[in-house]
Amino acid sequence: MSQAIGYSTTPPAGSSRFSSTSLYSTSQNPSSSTINNNPNPNRRESARSSIVPIQQQLFGGSTVQQQGNVNILDRSLNKTKNAEIALSTWAFLFAEVISYSQSRSDSIADLEKRLSTLGYDVGQRILSLLLLRNTQTSNLKDPKREHRLIPILQFVHTQIYKYVFGKPADGLERSSEAEDEYMLLLNESPLSQFISVPKDMSDLSCESFTAGLVEGVLDGLEVPARVTAHWVGDQYPDYPQRTVILIKLDQKVMDREESLGK
Amino acid sequence: MTIHGLWVISKAGGLVFSRSYSDVLPPQPVNTILTLAGILHGIHAITAKLTPTPIPGVPVGGLESFEAEGWGGKVFLTPTGTKFVVLHSIPQTGLDELMKRIYEIYSDAVMKNPFHTPEMPINSSLFETKLQTLMSGVNA
Repeated sequence: MSQAIGYSTTPPAGSSRFSSTSLYSTSQNPSSSTINNNPNPNRRESARSSIVPIQQQLFGGSTVQQQGNVNILDRSLNKTKNAEIALSTWAFLFAEVISYSQSRSDSIADLEKRLSTLGYDVGQRILSLLLLRNTQTSNLKDPKREHRLIPILQFVHTQIYKYVFGKPADGLERSSEAEDEYMLLLNESPLSQFISVPKDMSDLSCESFTAGLVEGVLDGLEVPARVTAHWVGDQYPDYPQRTVILIKLDQKVMDREESLGK
Repeated sequence: MTIHGLWVISKAGGLVFSRSYSDVLPPQPVNTILTLAGILHGIHAITAKLTPTPIPGVPVGGLESFEAEGWGGKVFLTPTGTKFVVLHSIPQTGLDELMKRIYEIYSDAVMKNPFHTPEMPINSSLFETKLQTLMSGVNA
């Protein structure tokens, strides 16, 4: 469900729509392909040719122009492997994301859903990137991808969290009440450590973004689940910002696990 | 050195935060503190105006500290015009570092909080807890 929302609300949807029309139009609907397909490459080319002179005007030098011509998709994927950005940069960006989402939502649940939708898209991208990099560094001929539930959850707990937050999650627990519920614990999240939620919105957890991210990753690994974030800091005086990411797995996953056996 | 209290004064001269960290100074009603902060803001503006040889390009700082019998105040002006005023006992040491720490906590807990409106009273539990930890460290 959130997948559909993710595609409809985010800006990159325009570019993906563009590629899908050009893919389908040749075989399925020839008449529309001539209308739809032609203007797009033209527009793209005209846009590119108009950008270059502006860059020349702005920057002058030839080196800058060469760099400017390298498309983001043509750059080396591993160049940014160990790159990090300042925490403040992220904090200010995330604060702005929250204010933006808040001004466009009418309830706390709606705001959490918006943050979760943004996180979902991030999760999908991170999963593809990490899997590709893991394959490149380990063995190109024998790519590895987890398919069982527990290794997948451990992959999220260790690798995904390590990549996103710089350290693994502080715990992965199975709920004692329900079999299909797992919990990822984080004592202090780098994402929302500067945020203090006002009292009248105490239900809100800005970690919904992380929840969406986890949901995106799990969905990409064919483990559909409903992921929510809950603040439990009031029960742990030592960790006032402790947050639980609750993963409620789809019945389908539980059935599959059972049929696969031990 | 004991820290008696902290005021945060906005660019426009309004008091956006005030806390007392000791019971040495007589407690004042909020309205009195608001007035005092406003007067301090005015004095700061006057002293900035009276600076005899301003360096071109460098913003003119005004009042930096004041002293009374047994206690004093230190004023820290951020580049954006927010003022932190610390009321402390005399003699005092390490106030400059303390000011930098307060500024750091302010930028972390207040400016990075999406639920804070600039120039409005600070209503952040994180800001208060972090300050409380800092001040109890200094006052201990």
